[in-house]
Amino acid sequence: MPKLSTTPTRRGLMVGSAALLAMPAVITNPARAATQLRVRTPGGSFDEIKRRTVYEPFLKETGIEIVPVPSTVGKLLAMYKAGQVEIDCIDTGNDANLMLEEAGALVPIDYGAFRYTKLEDVDPSLKLPYQVGSFVYAFVLCYRTDVFKPGSEPKSWAEFWDTNAFPGPRTLAGIESGAPNLEIALLADGVAMDKVYPVDIERALKSMGRIKSSVPKFWDTGALSAQMMADKEAVLGVLWNTRAQASIDGGAPLGIQWNQNQVLVQSYAIPKGAKAPEAALKFIDYSISEDVQKRWLAEYKAIPVNTKVYPHTSKLLLDPASGTPWTVSKGFRNDITWWSANRTKVSRAWSNWVL
Amino acid sequence: MGRDRTWLLLLPALGLLVLLFLAPLAWFLARTLFIETAPAEVPALFADVLTARSMQVAALTTLWVSVLVTLATLVIGYPIAFYLANRRGWRAALVVFCVVVPYFTSVIVRTYALTVVLGRSGLINELLGASGLIGAPLALLYNTFGIVVGMTYVLLPYMVLTLYATMKAIDPNLLRAGRALGASPLYLFRRVYLPLSVPGIVSGSLIVLILALGFFITPALMGGPGDVTVAMLIERAIEILIDWPSAAVMSVVLLAATLILFAVYARVTDLRRMMGA
Amino acid sequence: MIGRDASVPGAVGLARARERAAAVTGPAGKALELQGLTKIYGSETVVDRFETRIEAGEFFSLLGPSGSGKTTTLMMVAGFASIDAGRLLVDGVDLAAVPPERRGFGMVFQNYAIFPHMDVFENVAFPLRARGMPKALVRERVAAALDLVQLRHLSDRYARQLSGGQQQRVAIARAIVFQPPVVLMDEPLGALDKNLRYDLQVEIKEIQRRLGMTVLYVTHDQEEAMNLSDRVAIMSRGRVEQIGAPRAVYERPVNAFTARFLGEANLLPGRIVTPGPGRIAFQLEDGAVLHADEAATRGAGTEGQLFVRPEKLTLNPSADPLRDGLNHLSGTVRRASFLGSVVRYAVETGSGALVTADAPNVAAHHHPEPGARVALAWSPADTVILPPDAA
Repeated sequence: MPKLSTTPTRRGLMVGSAALLAMPAVITNPARAATQLRVRTPGGSFDEIKRRTVYEPFLKETGIEIVPVPSTVGKLLAMYKAGQVEIDCIDTGNDANLMLEEAGALVPIDYGAFRYTKLEDVDPSLKLPYQVGSFVYAFVLCYRTDVFKPGSEPKSWAEFWDTNAFPGPRTLAGIESGAPNLEIALLADGVAMDKVYPVDIERALKSMGRIKSSVPKFWDTGALSAQMMADKEAVLGVLWNTRAQASIDGGAPLGIQWNQNQVLVQSYAIPKGAKAPEAALKFIDYSISEDVQKRWLAEYKAIPVNTKVYPHTSKLLLDPASGTPWTVSKGFRNDITWWSANRTKVSRAWSNWVL
Repeated sequence: MGRDRTWLLLLPALGLLVLLFLAPLAWFLARTLFIETAPAEVPALFADVLTARSMQVAALTTLWVSVLVTLATLVIGYPIAFYLANRRGWRAALVVFCVVVPYFTSVIVRTYALTVVLGRSGLINELLGASGLIGAPLALLYNTFGIVVGMTYVLLPYMVLTLYATMKAIDPNLLRAGRALGASPLYLFRRVYLPLSVPGIVSGSLIVLILALGFFITPALMGGPGDVTVAMLIERAIEILIDWPSAAVMSVVLLAATLILFAVYARVTDLRRMMGA
Repeated sequence: MIGRDASVPGAVGLARARERAAAVTGPAGKALELQGLTKIYGSETVVDRFETRIEAGEFFSLLGPSGSGKTTTLMMVAGFASIDAGRLLVDGVDLAAVPPERRGFGMVFQNYAIFPHMDVFENVAFPLRARGMPKALVRERVAAALDLVQLRHLSDRYARQLSGGQQQRVAIARAIVFQPPVVLMDEPLGALDKNLRYDLQVEIKEIQRRLGMTVLYVTHDQEEAMNLSDRVAIMSRGRVEQIGAPRAVYERPVNAFTARFLGEANLLPGRIVTPGPGRIAFQLEDGAVLHADEAATRGAGTEGQLFVRPEKLTLNPSADPLRDGLNHLSGTVRRASFLGSVVRYAVETGSGALVTADAPNVAAHHHPEPGARVALAWSPADTVILPPDAA
């Protein structure tokens, strides 16, 4: 998702005018220790888990301290344009990194310098010239278990769309999240998973229109999606499995249905103008290595990019039928290239559709 | 007679304003509208953004919501300010505290707190449901009503404090004179108190309107799918579409609207001083 | 007044103005009875059993220093302060439970209290509109009231465009326009300078007399009170010290406080030698015996102080023969102050007390230099024996 942050604090940056976004342009960088690496992260519990399983061991291993910093695509771009980049490494959605790449704001990944990770272990589709996958997650069908008994929940997007058989408010990702659930609307309309792209925007929105009256709000941040489900503002939702799982772990009565999941990728990149690009590369290399991914993703419920770690993946993420992650057995890949080329068109169509 | 140098006292504030607001704003607008956009394309860009249906609807939504919020803060704030201006002691202090205390909490926290109250399974719906007054939950959240409630809550202090300042300045002897001369309390309010508080009503309304126009958080969190404000469109252009020129144009429009209202505000407060009120 | 009126462009002539003013005359004033009116704040009695009957058409002033309770008394009458004890009657009707707006009194404040958002016309029309009077009648009455205070030509001005004196005349017009039986005035001239104050006193007095209004007037200026009032109540620390016509109160105060408050007073301590009624003989501490004409009987030996106003004393060369039937004291001039219409002398008498004597500034009068021996003489009729100062 291009919306980098999943915490609402970034909204503080938007109050008033867009001018605030340009602030880093005129604030000079404070001098900092050579052993610090400033990484843009989503923050919150994500950082909390990663600090224990990745950052602290990395500090012991290399003497480099990870300093998590919140930021948005807009802010990163502003830093780049102002020539004042105060971040060394970006940990965000692969579509956001693609945007930065297309804006010329990233440096290529030097795979030759990798020492901790065996490159052949990493899913080749995630080793791109300007970004490397960090973990894999998905848009999944999430439901209130106190409304739909596990087993009697909608099993497909077509059923999710059936408001008679499965009544109640729903929530889906809207345009403010960066990528509304057009693909899922097409699946609900009968399109096959491998025929989703290129997305027929008109058809997708027409399909979306059939449940619009059951959607009190399209979510913009992962936090909102989870909150709406937890507060019963919605009884069915399209959520990131990571968010839904965190809510379930927190005691919310939610269930996950993996059929027809849309596979998403979190990735690392290094911005042009980074003060410590070598350390950044070392951090990326370290954090996708077999041992680190094993340790980290045992706690954070996402699918590793290191295929060696698949057997150690949480059982919740594995399809018992195949033994592989649900994303492999029941999912389809999100196409960030299509989104990058069509996002403006989608935004315009969405605006006309929603108003 | 030495030259008046008191303006030097404003230097730190001026410095902050330039450093944190004017310079970044100038940088952003210059970069997006003059460097990244060819000069010849700027008029077309403005035309493009301003004629887009999404922008026009958002502008209307923004204005409509802002006007509703202004009216709501006025209707709720006027009695509060009246109470404060005419009472002293711990009760008044408590009311001031209640009005001002939301200032000490972040807007996001306050807005989230309201979603808990207004939601389908929120406090109000639970109470109404339990009392049997309603069968199905009322839609209080994720619509214009929700936005207006949320923004009214956040902006109420501005209205109350502005009205309070004006009301406090109303000479109590005028009210005494009015009553002594035969005016009932209601007549006195209508013919003396209300007209004398009009400057406060105008300034308070303008302040709230100005602030409401740029509101982003509350409409984003509490609005429904169709409740898109100009600030939300700007955010989308910056963060989602990476279309900075469009964002710049919308920012200029919003800024212009704000400055015009501010000019009116300055003129009104100036008039107040002339009236000696 | 005539001169000022004529100098105003477009102003109607005085005669016509007076004629029109006659339209304001309504029912005559009503009597106001204060029966033991009392106000208590906490443990302090700020107005203590105020008792008087103000007659219809009477101009009655409350005079006293600040904190004496005069304004509180007025506020109780107006209805802005509750009455803690006693009764307030207008023509026999108790007003205690009547709110201010229904008491039907006119009221004028020290700071004018002109509504800043209304022009002069609307200000004066306010009491009429509040009573729902028809428009045509409102126009007529307002015009008449404005004529009475000679402000008709300013009827579309706002308060901020008027001088203090003009604002106060607007306030007066507004207080009388609805023909109230009683008009209350709270130091209405307090904010004006001296000359203007005198002009307005004349104007207020004339309007009151013409309309037959009952006026209850608060002031701390004794000259103003004496100039305007039929009767004055002197107040001190919540209590009424004396009530009477200005001249009576001035000439025959009942105690040292009212004696001093109304003007310069000589107060010489001593004791009564021969009691009244008729002529009382009073011996000063230095042995001198003086006389006072009094109707009351006072016991011999009673301590007191002899009161006489400075202007009652005549100053003679010490060599002049004494005249029968007058009080005499001799002394030395210590100070002579030129005050314009009079020269004020401080004369040190045998006991060392300073006696003040005012000599009119006329050539025929004896004007000794400081250090000169003089003889003071005055009539027992101008002399009052007062009780000693309360400790």
